[in-house]
Amino acid sequence: MNNESKLMRWFNKRYDLSPFEHFAKEKKVPDFKGSFWYYFGGVSLFLFIVQVVTGILLLMYYQPGAQTAYESVRFIVTKVEFGWLIRSIHSWSANLMILSVFIHMFSVYFTKAFRTPRELTWYSGFLLMSLTLVFGFSGYLLPWNTLSYFATKVGTEIVGVVPVVGIPLMEILRNGSDVTTATLTRFFGLHVAVLPAVFTVVLGIHLLFIQVQGISEPESWKDIPESKKNHIPFFPNFVLRDVLLWLIVLNVLAILAVYFPWELGHKADPFASAPAGIKPEWYFLFMFESLKFLPSKFLGLDGEVVGVMFFGLAGLLWFLIPLWDSRTPKGSRNKIINYVGIAVVLYIIILTTIGAR
Amino acid sequence: MDQKILFGLPLLFILAFASGTQAQKSQTVDKCYSCHRDIGSDEAQAYKNDIHFKAGVTCADCHGGDPTVEDQDAAMSPAKGYIGVPKASAIPQVCGKCHGPSKTELKEKFRLDDVMDDFKASVHGRALSESNDGPQCVSCHGIHNIVSIKDRRSPVYPTNVTKTCAKCHSNPNYMKKFNPGLPVDQYEKYLTSVHGKRNQSGDPKAATCVSCHSNHLIRAVKDPRSPVYPTNIPLTCSKCHSNKMYMAEYHIPTNQYDNYVQSVHGIALLKNSDLSAPACNSCHGNHGAVPPGAASVASVCGTCHQANADLFDKSVHKNAFAKAKLPGCVVCHSNHLVKPPSDKMIGFGSASVCGECHKDNSSDSAASTILVMKTTLDSLTNGQKDASALLAHAEQLGMDVSDASYSLRSVNQSLVESRVQVHAFAIAPVVSAAQPGLKIVADAQKSALGAINEYYFRRKGLGVATLVITLLVVLLYLKIKQIERKSRQ
Repeated sequence: MNNESKLMRWFNKRYDLSPFEHFAKEKKVPDFKGSFWYYFGGVSLFLFIVQVVTGILLLMYYQPGAQTAYESVRFIVTKVEFGWLIRSIHSWSANLMILSVFIHMFSVYFTKAFRTPRELTWYSGFLLMSLTLVFGFSGYLLPWNTLSYFATKVGTEIVGVVPVVGIPLMEILRNGSDVTTATLTRFFGLHVAVLPAVFTVVLGIHLLFIQVQGISEPESWKDIPESKKNHIPFFPNFVLRDVLLWLIVLNVLAILAVYFPWELGHKADPFASAPAGIKPEWYFLFMFESLKFLPSKFLGLDGEVVGVMFFGLAGLLWFLIPLWDSRTPKGSRNKIINYVGIAVVLYIIILTTIGAR
Repeated sequence: MDQKILFGLPLLFILAFASGTQAQKSQTVDKCYSCHRDIGSDEAQAYKNDIHFKAGVTCADCHGGDPTVEDQDAAMSPAKGYIGVPKASAIPQVCGKCHGPSKTELKEKFRLDDVMDDFKASVHGRALSESNDGPQCVSCHGIHNIVSIKDRRSPVYPTNVTKTCAKCHSNPNYMKKFNPGLPVDQYEKYLTSVHGKRNQSGDPKAATCVSCHSNHLIRAVKDPRSPVYPTNIPLTCSKCHSNKMYMAEYHIPTNQYDNYVQSVHGIALLKNSDLSAPACNSCHGNHGAVPPGAASVASVCGTCHQANADLFDKSVHKNAFAKAKLPGCVVCHSNHLVKPPSDKMIGFGSASVCGECHKDNSSDSAASTILVMKTTLDSLTNGQKDASALLAHAEQLGMDVSDASYSLRSVNQSLVESRVQVHAFAIAPVVSAAQPGLKIVADAQKSALGAINEYYFRRKGLGVATLVITLLVVLLYLKIKQIERKSRQ
């Protein structure tokens, strides 16, 4: 403690850290029955940090290119000391991060934390979720194995069905008309440079909004006196609880990485036919499966076009929820929001389950 | 088919003879014949002995015209269908009037086969359709003096037919017009063959050209329907060579085909349709077919198994076998019943061939060589199996051992080379060929064991890491509880 004080004194002599000290001491977090869900924001942040660290380590050996990508990943998992662990953790934490981001988003949705004055936090969070999905999609291709190659081909083809802008957009994504080594280079650039930079900025803004506005209180606290509201200090109580959960997640990651090492599969062969039953990653599965259920023609348009446009519109409505939630300005209860949310969750779970079979 | 014709023909000629009197009567009113006979024409003289003359076929039946009138102009009038000497390309049509598909009185009477369809589908029929110089009926059967094919004078009688075929097939200038790549030495080779020698000595049972190639329906050798297409050759040869009655007078075995179909060569050719596998002619020759002598067996096998033959030629067995008049490769591998070679053939086990001449004791100086060769091959084979099993186990544990698995495939090369070197019948070449394989096996086993150890190391490492993290979680949990207790107080 003495050392810490000395250290703080050393810093305080040079920089005035008292505002930060004050902020840490004064910041409180609501503590109630459902406050467990608050921790998924922190878990997502932790998994992002794991991604950054393991991603940098993988970058030391990874070589983009159709002739080198697969070979370099094989080298990482077979020759580099603990390379198998780093790669496996990177892949597993990517998936857990997406799951955690989804849970975080739905917990925010159901606790109505997107309402005034936190609309911008919701928008930035939605953007972060979208970036996370793009992270997943672009990273999936990088090992250049059969599954990733054909999943990318199918995934980018779906983009191509969007009217008017679809084909140009697909060609921009693919860096050409087909999935080639040029696509791999483009995805690599996106995955290791563009996305991390954009994500870090948006994440910074998102965290800044949270720190400035504080963590949202539950709706049920609106009508109870301040004295009955239970808070815990952000530091050290909330932070230590966060760290506790992070350690548990780290343990889960280690177990998954060792017991279920992420398979590398076979090298992609662009001239081979696509393997039977090719599927995208689980987080795109509900959309992919929905397209399969659509008739080939719907309202005079191709079923696939209708599907893609429907998901585009649904995503936009989800993004703009603070605008169309009519009771937001009043801050009152809105059961329709809950019903819509439950329907969306059930839809995603059911379609993902069907698609995974 | 050929044999049916062979046995059917006597009946045909008996019928022809029986009706001869009537037929000769009809010729007496044939003004063409009587006039040409009277002026001493060679054709008419020859035709007197022709089988067709005896059957009542008149000149006009082939040449057209009116055989009932004396006047030459009227008899040979194109208006009466006179065609003169038919063009070569038209001859099959002329003969086909009776020997073709259409029903005629003569065809019915003598029960003649339709051979025209076969001829048209044959290489000869095709050659004729492309050139007027191509072969047709009279090229083989003659003109005006055609006799029964059972008649020793017939150009297609077994002892004459090879010479008949050779008229064209031994003439390079003629053959160039149709197939410049086709050899023209078949007849010369045939004369050197066992078949040819017997044929020349007057044995009509010895195989001739038509025995293998058929007569009217001769197809190109590369045509899968040809009886001499590689996959059909064994059966074609077996028609005679597996016929005990037919071969009885020659005192040679008739089990070659039965053995061949069970052999490694027969399975490769007949079951797996591997056209590079040898058929009968690959070892015995085709037109010059002879059984290879004891001294030349290794050379015959060496045309395909070159490395083995070279090693054998330099080995101690070469002279030893020659002295004992043993037929080289056949001593260990058999001839028609060549079984897939196995490492069990080496050594002194029940399936070994070494043990048939050598003894497994110190009195036989070759015993130690045999045992070292056997041990070396077994080490390589067993080592490969063990390494494969270890790698499979490592893979089953989820470890990536693809590099070692890939390398292990090269052991097959070393194994093949070592097995080939066995034909040197010495230790050094076998051991030397096995060395690279043994090293690969050792490396693969090391990699597999390393991967298996790594697997258990990872699990132990995970156990330690989980324990440490869990301990931290517990400590942190207690600390949080402590802090929260303090803050409540």
